[in-house]
Amino acid sequence: MGDIHEGPRKRIATAHLAQHIGQPVCFVGRLEKIHPNGKLFVLSDGEGKHTTVELSEPLDEEISGVIEVVGRVTNQATIMCMSYVQFREDKSPFDLELYNEAIKIIHEFHEYFPFG
Amino acid sequence: GGYTQSPGGFGSPAGTQAEKKQRTRSQNIVPCTVSQLLAAEQVDESFRIRDVEISQVTIVGIVRHAEKAPTNILYKVDDMTAAPMDVRQWVDTDEAGGENVVVPPGTYVKVAGHLRSFQNKKSLVAFKIMPLENMNEFTTHILEIVNAHVVLRRNLMEASRGPQAFPSTGVGGYGGVCSLPLNGLTAHQSQVLNLIKNCPVPEGMSLQELKAQLHSMSMSTIKQAVEFLSSEGHIYSTVDDDHYKSTDAE
Repeated sequence: MGDIHEGPRKRIATAHLAQHIGQPVCFVGRLEKIHPNGKLFVLSDGEGKHTTVELSEPLDEEISGVIEVVGRVTNQATIMCMSYVQFREDKSPFDLELYNEAIKIIHEFHEYFPFG
Repeated sequence: GGYTQSPGGFGSPAGTQAEKKQRTRSQNIVPCTVSQLLAAEQVDESFRIRDVEISQVTIVGIVRHAEKAPTNILYKVDDMTAAPMDVRQWVDTDEAGGENVVVPPGTYVKVAGHLRSFQNKKSLVAFKIMPLENMNEFTTHILEIVNAHVVLRRNLMEASRGPQAFPSTGVGGYGGVCSLPLNGLTAHQSQVLNLIKNCPVPEGMSLQELKAQLHSMSMSTIKQAVEFLSSEGHIYSTVDDDHYKSTDAE
C-alpha cells in the first residue's frame, strides 16, 4: 500500500463515508471524544454527524478542537487514519458549517475542483 | 528579489502585438487546486486549464516538507487534490535574515506564484508564501476556486460564440461543428435560466415555481434543463435540490 499522501484524498463529510469505502479521503471535524485506549476518536462534521477515526498506534499527544484527518475509509465506514493535523483556532474559530457547505459545492462542481 | 517578470530569457526580439496581448490577458491571479495545475497544458510559454489561460495562481495547502538552500527554499505544499506540489521561493541573498524565514512543515499556507514546467514536471515559483492565521481563509479559497473556474470558463464559452449570439442567454446561431452545446442553450434551457436569473429571493427559484411560470413545459423537461444548467455551472442548488440560483446573480 503506497503512501496515500502522494495521491488525491477526496474531501468528504460523514454523509459521504458509505460511498467511499476503501478510498483515500480527507475529513475535517471537531473532536467529540477520545477512546481511553487512545486508538480511536470521534469527530463531528459541520452537520453535527459523527465519524469514527481509528489509529494504528495510540495518540502520543493531546488533541482538541478541529482536526483534519487523512486516511482510508474502512468497510465499517470508519476512517483508518494515516495522518492528522489540528486546525489553529488561536486567532479565529473555524466555521465548520461553512466548510461542510463548501464540501457540497466541490462535490457538485467536481469538474471545477478535481481530485486527481 | 531574485525573480522578475522580464522576458529576457526568450532570446527573440521584442514580442509581437499578439504576444503582448496574450501576456496581458493572463495577468489575473487565479485560485487553483494542485490537481488543476498538474493537469494544465502548456502552450508555448503559457498554460491552460481546460482552455482557460493561467499564469499567476494561488494555492492553499499544508507544508509537508521544507528545504533551505543558499539561494532558495523548496517547499512541498499539499492540498489533498494530488501529490504535494514543489514550491520554490527565491531568497534575497543580500538581505540579512528577516524576509525569508522557513515555514515549518505542518503549517497551512497560501502561496501566490507563477506556474512553471521543467522536464515535464510542474512547480510553482512563489512570490508570496503566507501562513494562514485564520483557517476560514482555507474554506474561502475552496469556494473561490470553484467560482473563478466556473466564471472563467463561462466567459470563454460566451466569447467563443461570436458576434451572432445574444450575450447573456446564448440563444443564437451555432458557430461551428461541435458535439457539445458550447455555442448556446436550447430555447427551453434559456427560458429556465432567465427565470432563475431574475429571481430576487435568497433561496432562489423552486422547480414548482418554474412549472407555474412555464406553462408549456412539462416537469421532466424543466428538470432536464435544470440538470444541464447546473452541470454547466450556470445555476446551483441552494436550500435543497428543488431550489436554484444563478451563478450570475449579484
